[in-house]
Amino acid sequence: MAAKPLFIILCSGEREKLQMAAMIGSVAAVSDRPVELFVSMNAILAFEKDKSAEQRYHGGHFAKAFAAKGAPDPVDLLGQGKMLGEMKIWACTMVLDVQGWSMANLVDDVFDGEMGLTKFLSDAEDGELITL
Amino acid sequence: MAERKTIDARGAYCPGPLMELIAALKLSQVGDELEVLSSDKGSAADIPEWVEKVGHQMVGTTAHDGYWSVVIRKAK
Repeated sequence: MAAKPLFIILCSGEREKLQMAAMIGSVAAVSDRPVELFVSMNAILAFEKDKSAEQRYHGGHFAKAFAAKGAPDPVDLLGQGKMLGEMKIWACTMVLDVQGWSMANLVDDVFDGEMGLTKFLSDAEDGELITL
Repeated sequence: MAERKTIDARGAYCPGPLMELIAALKLSQVGDELEVLSSDKGSAADIPEWVEKVGHQMVGTTAHDGYWSVVIRKAK
């Protein structure tokens, strides 16, 4: 039996939650489980194009530990998950509008496009939903 | 003819070793063996779980000083 698709809403801009979303999403995607990730609120700021890792990530104890020990970069990990598994990543239309951004402001080769929350929640009725 | 390839993922944290393995699997043929060297304890336990879930074959796991060797065979 095919696994239920996994839907993830990522709102936090903290490295710890970005890391967890990237780990869950990429591992599920390469384990034959379709994944859709909706990036909204402060999380979208981590995906701004042309930022260094120091500018991109902030957080608490583990954010510092991940940086010091060279844990996988969450944005890179999501890119690997997309390349090796079935994963779609959507930017929240509302926060793009508020921020005055378009898709051109976001890192290349990660997002499949922008989407509204209503459509994402509708799609998520077919699977399991995690919010971070 | 089946080949054996070693992926040295020592120093990489979860899920880095698994992702490196999967990338190498994409380029391998059915029957090939891949050995992952991982210093990440979680990956040494997780890779066999993933192999079983997706339908490849575990050949074995060996503990060394400070790292593990996990060998799998591509089955599909």
